[in-house]
Amino acid sequence: MTVAGELRFYGLTILGLILFPFLIHPIGGYGGLATEVLIVGIGSVGFNLLLGYAGLLSYGQAMFYGVGAYVALLTVSRFFPDHPNFWLALALGVAFVTLMAFVIGMLVVRLYGIYFSLLTLAFAQMFFFIVFKWRDLTQGDDGLQGITVPAMGLGPWSIDLTTPFPALNLGPFGDLSDLHYWYAFAALVTLAVLAFMRALVRSQFGEVLGAIRDNEERSALIGFDPRRYKVAAFVIAGALTGLSGALRGLYDTSIAPDALTVETSGNFVIYTVIGGVKTLFGPLVGTGLIMYLQNVLSAKTDAWRLIEGLIFVAVIVFLPGGILGARRKSARAELAKAVSAKAGP
Amino acid sequence: MSEIILETKGLGKSFGAFAANADIDFTVREGELRAVIGPNGAGKTTFFNLLSGVATATAGDIFFEGRRITPLGGPRRVALGIAKAFQTANLYPDETVLQNCRLAALARTQGSFAFEPFRPSRRLDEVDRIAHEALELVDMTALAGARAGDLSHGDKKRVDIAVAIATKPKILLLDEPVAGMSLEEVRKTDALIRGLAKRMTILLIEHDMTMIMGISDSITVLHQGKILAEGTPAEIRANQRVQEAYLGGHTEGHV
Amino acid sequence: MRGLVYVAIALGLTIVFGMLRLVNFAHGAFYAIGAYVGLVVAEHYGLAAGLIVAPLAVALFAVVLDRTLLRFFYDRDPTAQILVTFGIAIVVEESLRLIFGGTTRSYPVPAALSTSVNLGFTLYPAYRLCFAVGIVVIVLAVWVFLQRTNFGLIVRASIRDRTMVQLLGGNVDLASTTIFALGAGLAGLAGAAASPIYSVDPNTGFSFLVPSFVVVVIGGLGSFWGAVLGGLLVGELQSVTTLVFPAASDVVIYIAMALVLLIRPSGLLGESEVIRG
Repeated sequence: MTVAGELRFYGLTILGLILFPFLIHPIGGYGGLATEVLIVGIGSVGFNLLLGYAGLLSYGQAMFYGVGAYVALLTVSRFFPDHPNFWLALALGVAFVTLMAFVIGMLVVRLYGIYFSLLTLAFAQMFFFIVFKWRDLTQGDDGLQGITVPAMGLGPWSIDLTTPFPALNLGPFGDLSDLHYWYAFAALVTLAVLAFMRALVRSQFGEVLGAIRDNEERSALIGFDPRRYKVAAFVIAGALTGLSGALRGLYDTSIAPDALTVETSGNFVIYTVIGGVKTLFGPLVGTGLIMYLQNVLSAKTDAWRLIEGLIFVAVIVFLPGGILGARRKSARAELAKAVSAKAGP
Repeated sequence: MSEIILETKGLGKSFGAFAANADIDFTVREGELRAVIGPNGAGKTTFFNLLSGVATATAGDIFFEGRRITPLGGPRRVALGIAKAFQTANLYPDETVLQNCRLAALARTQGSFAFEPFRPSRRLDEVDRIAHEALELVDMTALAGARAGDLSHGDKKRVDIAVAIATKPKILLLDEPVAGMSLEEVRKTDALIRGLAKRMTILLIEHDMTMIMGISDSITVLHQGKILAEGTPAEIRANQRVQEAYLGGHTEGHV
Repeated sequence: MRGLVYVAIALGLTIVFGMLRLVNFAHGAFYAIGAYVGLVVAEHYGLAAGLIVAPLAVALFAVVLDRTLLRFFYDRDPTAQILVTFGIAIVVEESLRLIFGGTTRSYPVPAALSTSVNLGFTLYPAYRLCFAVGIVVIVLAVWVFLQRTNFGLIVRASIRDRTMVQLLGGNVDLASTTIFALGAGLAGLAGAAASPIYSVDPNTGFSFLVPSFVVVVIGGLGSFWGAVLGGLLVGELQSVTTLVFPAASDVVIYIAMALVLLIRPSGLLGESEVIRG
């Protein structure tokens, strides 16, 4: 980790986050979409920790996403209706999901391959039906609608995130007022999540996790405990996905049970695989691309989801590393060279 | 006489009705170089799997340094100092040779689980030192930067031994370390094992009788899952029942 | 009743996994294709024709899919298999949606079978009775095929030792493709046959996919009779729960699946391979 490397990461990421909503404008994008992409993208980044770095295909991330949203919204509407607090909603959403991920994680990491995936799917379905049927708490099929989300308290200020930025015409790139403060907040959270993920992957923890993914048998026999690492990865991924869900709930001021369906879990899979597993920005790129297609294409043709499916299959067959994955191979070769240079005469 | 480092009492492993190992009372002292031999199917690899924690015993107990380790899993046993090198070299094929050893050294220094999300292991000099030491012992320093999956069979096995050594074991289990090696490689590995024997206890499964007879302090013979005989190389060579167990009584050269 | 539909779908799924070690998330899509193709054919030429054409069409599609794409995935890790078949499932389902429209379509039950049969203790719809009998016949037919014919022998031997069978002159590739087509055909037949009872919409594939995995897990992935037993059990479990504790009738099968995976992952009748650490 060099200073130059750090600067490059932060510089490019911040620049990208700032430019993103404006760059997509000429092709039909808009501020709200950009915000949604970031929020959902956080969940994809979490999922990638499991699939790309731990080698675990979880087909149940939707349970963390959906429950995170429900808990956040219920916090302001049911649990603490007299003192609705933005941060509390976010915190409770994430905390509850983290606990959930820990308990479920302890159970699922005993299994491998298809059995692991199916068990995550089973748990996700359980939560879906619980949310669906528990009308008293969740309003069942109708979901929670039009919840009054409080302004975000920040020291002496109270910031209403739905406030648009002041108007400023940027020609083909739209108008600054198309963006709301929500985007800035989502961008900050995204930056923090990416920075965290980057550090994690390059850390001792990340190194061992990768070793376990590449050869679990060997890893156990040199002394690592694969199970604990997998649980840790599952919990972190769950927490991030829960954060994503909580943000989504607060952003939409509503949530419905379809946030917990197999389709939603499948979406995280699709976004991440297309963007690039094992890459830091891949999940975000994939989320952006597909959500863009969903939003913009769906207005123009009914076949948008078919196109999405075809892209997905094409990526798996021809580009298993995803869109951003092609660069990775060369990075590994560089690393090997660097290490051998150190071990020299 | 030195202390008993590893002991099993009545150790057995059954798969349904088939007993791969049974009634094994086995003792080895610190610093010994003990060979475990026997015809194919005698249960040698199963025995090593039981000792290293890969397989769970269905009967009996294992004691390491006086402590009952039977219920402990593989990672815990490595932490205690029991390391195993595989019959077919089991490495991280996409990593460099050095990184393979570093991972083992990392496991030794950090323990079975450490949540260090911000510290890169590249900063740990201790890990590098142990890894380089292990590579030097097996004389593979020149290939430190090579991709492990690209190595020749013999080199892979040597790296596998280095990886086991990098966990800083007290007892090293070598499962057929010279299988499939050329004469020259066998000679080198023989010298390597002799060198290692000065620093740690070694258990060795092998079929190369010449090597076994020359290198071992003592030999345990397994046959059909049970201990058939134990003794010095000379005693085993002279043992009638051992000769019968190996078809035709061959005890010289390769079986 | 529902149990029998599950049996039909799960059978194809488990055979493909057992014989080819392929996890097929597109299996539900095969059911859906069968349902739609059957529907179109039935509307013009009658149900019987639909029941013949649908499984053949699905099997043909499966053969093409196998030869062009899936056979490269037989030896890859389950994750890759799940992903690619999941992708295929989406493509198929969306294509069906585009071709046939998004609304629910109903199936013509032939007039001859729209009556109810007096079984002594109850009046039972004739079509459902035929369906039940049909499933039993099919299950037995597949069993006989696998156990008693030479070809079935090759197929079963291929799971044990692919290379050996090839060396002995058996055509392993043909066996693999046949099995895949058989599994797909079964799903297609189930789709065409069950749709007069359940109607058809674009989500049909996915809505049957997940429960069929539940069945296969409970019965044992790869076990023929496990799929049969699992299908019947799951069907019964749902029926009973609907009567006793209706709120839980959807959840209960997933609880059952989770329990099986945690306690006995190989399922009721599956082999106990090493699938846990």
